Amino acid sequence: MNFELVLQIILVIVSVSLVFAILLHKGRGGGMSDMFGGGVTSGLSSSGVAERNLNRLTVTLALLWGGIIVVLGLMSRFSGDF
Amino acid sequence: MFSAIARVIKTPDLRTKILFTLGIITIYRIGVFIPAPSVDYGNVQMCLAQGDTSGGLYSFVNMFSGGALLQVSIFALGIMPYITAAIITQLLRVVIPAFERLQKEGPEGQARLTQYTRYLTVGLALLNATTIATLARSGALLNCNQSLLNDSGIWATLLLVMTLAMGAIVIMWMGEQITERGVGNGMSLMIFVSIAAGFPAGLGAIWQTQGWRTFALVMVIGIAVMMLIVFVEDSQRRVPVQYARRQIGRRTVGSTTTYIPIKVNMAGVIPVIFASSILMLPQILIQFNMPTDGSEPAGWVVFLQQYFGSGSHPIYMATFFLMTIFFTYFYVTITFNPQDVSDNMKRQGGFIPGVRAGRPTVQYLEYVISRVTFVGALYLGMIAMLPLIAFVLIGADENFPFGGTSILIMVGVALNTIKQIDAQMEQRHYEGLLR
Repeated sequence: MNFELVLQIILVIVSVSLVFAILLHKGRGGGMSDMFGGGVTSGLSSSGVAERNLNRLTVTLALLWGGIIVVLGLMSRFSGDF
Repeated sequence: MFSAIARVIKTPDLRTKILFTLGIITIYRIGVFIPAPSVDYGNVQMCLAQGDTSGGLYSFVNMFSGGALLQVSIFALGIMPYITAAIITQLLRVVIPAFERLQKEGPEGQARLTQYTRYLTVGLALLNATTIATLARSGALLNCNQSLLNDSGIWATLLLVMTLAMGAIVIMWMGEQITERGVGNGMSLMIFVSIAAGFPAGLGAIWQTQGWRTFALVMVIGIAVMMLIVFVEDSQRRVPVQYARRQIGRRTVGSTTTYIPIKVNMAGVIPVIFASSILMLPQILIQFNMPTDGSEPAGWVVFLQQYFGSGSHPIYMATFFLMTIFFTYFYVTITFNPQDVSDNMKRQGGFIPGVRAGRPTVQYLEYVISRVTFVGALYLGMIAMLPLIAFVLIGADENFPFGGTSILIMVGVALNTIKQIDAQMEQRHYEGLLR
């Protein structure tokens, strides 16, 4: 049971950092008109080193986030074994 | 056709992009089936089996989340918060002059606006997640009297709210990744996938409840409607523009003829989405103002219930139709500014043959746009009415697969994506997918 609480706290920390990581990215795509049949706007992907590292960080955090949720779900499904 | 597809696969650059897009979509679809923490999966399945979840308040939202909402999965909010945020920033451009200025600044300013949209998405995601969590806690989300959570304590609920909001933000990020490194626009592809995921189930339901005859009829009508949509989406009025010859240094430039394309349906599906969202309000009001003890509801609730409670009442249909037309004009006015177009043309020495530059040009453009858009608005309204008509004719429910909004979005997104792939192939001197 304690293990579950630890995981939940880690989940909170990971989520908060993931929000910041995602918001730090530069926004791509120009909103609504771009979304449903606007003109073709191909942005030049000029991602520097910082952006690439941030990408790596975001992917890691996202995987961690998904993983913790799956583990938590499995634990609550087979609760009693823990 | 097949050889064209083979060429797409043989182009290494394009292949990577398409595989990347497919990969992200797969991750998204897997996420839809992962229940959020502190959700009691058993209870959810039980409540779903009890039925009575279709129609009403959340069917529209559920369509956009690809069935994730009713399963209370981690991606339950889907792309909805981002769409709402995009609509709000779009509308605020009319109200706040600073936003309009940013929009006109070019790419830098637009990136800033996108950044605002993303911040707004986080706020809206938190708000939506709180609503969903509250509804799930009482079981009202599935019209069920059992709590969908295995622990309705404050900590578990907070955890659920946070996970749901995070899910929406992660989806936003995945969409951006598709836009950046894949093909097509990520956000609209996400919506496309969510809607397409509901197709087989919807068609299967028709087959089972109505028999194969109706099923075949629905298929034929659906394909005909698709062809109609492709036809209208591609039609445009070409206003000719002539550029005067000018001498720059020793070179002569200009004297070219080109045109301003004015699409019949310039607004896309946005008006339909706006109208459906606003017509969801009466249903929310009804939901919250129904007395729980079974006594007679207030007069105005009865009134709303009678005229706006279900999508098949003529007054509801008429309102929907008129609203779609109104929002079409509204959106076209926001996005296309004849004054700007005319000014730009004048600066580059262009003019419309037979029309003087300046004020007459603006008037002429306004005249053409309002007439072309009239047809476009009628078309949008008709398409939007389709599911409601089907609702009356064959007794399909509101998840009718060839529903107006969904079919418009699907065809629009598919056309756009194929055109992008096509453009990329033509860059490499291959003939594209389209003939």
